[in-house]
Amino acid sequence: MQSREKEGTPTAAGQAETERYQPGSDADFERLYRTTYRRILGTLVTLVRDVATAEDCAQETYERAYKGWAKWRPDAPVEAWLHRIAINVAISDRRYQRLREAGEVIRRLGRPASGPDPAVVAERSVVVQAMKKLPPKQAAALVLRHYHGYTNREIGATLGVPEQTVASRLAAARKHLQAVLGK
Amino acid sequence: MSDLERELESELHRVLDAVAARPIPTRRSAPGRVSLRALLGGAGAALTIKVLTGVAVAAAAVTVAGAATTGSLNPAVWGQQVSDHVQECKDRIANSGQHGIGDCVSSFASQHGAAVSSAARQHGNGNGNGNGNGNANGNGSSNGNGNANGHSKDKTKDHTPPAKTSSTSPPTFDPEPIDPVGTHPPVAISPKP
Repeated sequence: MQSREKEGTPTAAGQAETERYQPGSDADFERLYRTTYRRILGTLVTLVRDVATAEDCAQETYERAYKGWAKWRPDAPVEAWLHRIAINVAISDRRYQRLREAGEVIRRLGRPASGPDPAVVAERSVVVQAMKKLPPKQAAALVLRHYHGYTNREIGATLGVPEQTVASRLAAARKHLQAVLGK
Repeated sequence: MSDLERELESELHRVLDAVAARPIPTRRSAPGRVSLRALLGGAGAALTIKVLTGVAVAAAAVTVAGAATTGSLNPAVWGQQVSDHVQECKDRIANSGQHGIGDCVSSFASQHGAAVSSAARQHGNGNGNGNGNGNANGNGSSNGNGNANGHSKDKTKDHTPPAKTSSTSPPTFDPEPIDPVGTHPPVAISPKP
């Protein structure tokens, strides 16, 4: 990870930044959606209860982003902006998670017991399950760093905190994860 | 990179790449900003519906009350009835040798106005506050009062000449009344010497 940053290889966070978007443009927002949806969804899967919820949160993320699309500044990192919204959506979702438990049970009963469905695989992953037990901002820092390849600076821009805070938050997240995984 | 970080990275890619590889769904569009819901729902809409209902019921009550009084939904029927009654009053007065049809027509108009007003009040009371007020005012005032007042004015005059000699009567711009027969003796003008 460090070596990639030193070589100047564009990180995952930079992929969407190479695109140019016009604030308020519906066509550009649709392009942004197509470009960034999978990464936003990947982040949300580690933060919320299951993949279906992550998909709902992703849609909620883009709805909120669309409302502020006209005010988005082109000089701001667009994917970091989206991730910030997504993490806030995930935090809100966790607060109301218990209210949806009954509905989730019904939905799970209707699914096949096993299969190659990636959603099922993700929900059964020990690491993903362990990350869901972390505080949302710690889990977000982990997935932004170890899945999306963000630098600490980019994570800081996404979460709206200083780089040093990101470093300490990552350290705490790793320690917490080790405890959860029993390693 | 520690073992934990490597394991974390590989596991996240194994799991999340599969999830992210699924087709991107159609973006869910935000609800429209046109406040149709505001027009059709809420307290404002309830008030609007009440007002519109009141107007509609008032209009219906006008029609029903008119029909109940004249026996027809056509308002021209009432006008025809008035014309017929006026002619009847004239004939009656001519036969009796009296002057003025005010009393005769006024009594007929008053009966009609009272009937329309009571019918409107009954409709209004049955339909709640808003409807009742609208109906009673609209029907009672326009039909009953208008006609009754117009003819009751004739009743007070009774075609008798006003007391011009009274010192308390104010000056008026009325035309010179017709001198009834026999009230003033003929004036005799004597030639000058």
